[in-house]
Order: sequence, then structure tokens, then C-alpha cells
Amino acid sequence: MSTPSRLRALTQLRCSLFQTSYNPQGLRTGAKYLRQRLRGPSMLAYYPASLNLSRFIHQNPDMEMVNEDAEERLVDVLERRKRGKGAPKKAKDKSESRRLQKRR
Amino acid sequence: MPNARVLRDIKARRGVHANEIARRAYLYVARNETLPPQVRHQAQLQLNTYGRYSRPTTVKNRCIVSGKGRGIISEFGLSRFQFRLQALRGELNGVQKASW
Repeated sequence: MSTPSRLRALTQLRCSLFQTSYNPQGLRTGAKYLRQRLRGPSMLAYYPASLNLSRFIHQNPDMEMVNEDAEERLVDVLERRKRGKGAPKKAKDKSESRRLQKRR
Repeated sequence: MPNARVLRDIKARRGVHANEIARRAYLYVARNETLPPQVRHQAQLQLNTYGRYSRPTTVKNRCIVSGKGRGIISEFGLSRFQFRLQALRGELNGVQKASW
């Protein structure tokens, strides 16, 4: 005789035997979030490591290297500022910001 | 030097890596129907406090050479043009130009 109660007892017994969780209503237990592999390490490894030249130079001051591109940029900025073509000063608060003035 | 979008993507990858375990734990609690609703709600609120650079969906595979975001051939991590260039130069193992 296979009555519903006996079937339930059978599943319960099977769960205890095979060490699976007894979940007759099929509730979501969130177990899949624990079972999934962690994706962070493989995500980090996607891009090949690249050399940050200015940081490398900053970290090794004894090697006395110069980042020529960066130096040239600084010289250019100075020259532009001398000619009055430099970037405007950063706004300290929102009222100084030019963003709102432009919209009007 | 990679372009700004690649840098942003790297930032997102770092964020995902750093917050992954805690986020998973909150997800487990929030999605677990056997726990009381109040607890699940608190866990969901905690999940909402995480920034955008901690969600795995923010991460996008971009071309590792040119930084392009579209037309990526994921086996090589290259955009279709960079893939073509490298394949024609013979830098990709097992790839050859089809002809029939």
C-alpha cells in the first residue's frame, strides 16, 4: 500500500540515508549561493598584468628614472597656463560650479 | 596604459573579489525561504548598501589588447579585429584562415 504518509516517510528515510536535506514543500533554501564557486579570483585574472610606469618609478627612487611622457605633459600644462589657456580652478562648492551657469 | 573603461572594469573586478564572500552570505540569508521574513529583509537591506563595483554583473569582459567592449571573442579575450590581426600574424595557436 502506498499512501501519501508512507511515501512521505519513505522520502524522509531516503534523505537521512543519502544525507540530502528533506524539503517536501520545495522551499528555496538559498543553498545555490553557497554551492556556487567563487568567481572573484578568475575575474581578477582576466586582464594580463600591465606595468604602471609612473608608479614603478615612484616605488624605486634609487633607480633614477624619468617618465618622459609625464614630464612633457607637466611642461605643456605650465606653458598653457602661462598663456592664460590653462584649465579653470576646481569649484569648491556647488554654487561655484559652472555646470549650472551654462544651463541657463 | 589601458583606457579608462578598462580601468573601471578592473576596479569592478577588484570590488567583486573583495566583497564576494560577504555578499554571498547575505544572498544566502535573503533568498532562504525557511528563515523568518524580518531576517531576510534585513539581509536584503544590507545587500542594497553595497556599491555598484561589488556586483558581478558590473564586470564586462573587454578586449585585453584594445579595450574594446563589443565583438569580443571570449576564448581569446580579444575583439574581433585584434583577433584577426593576431591570427594572421600566427600568434594564436590552432587558428588558421579558413579557405574552401
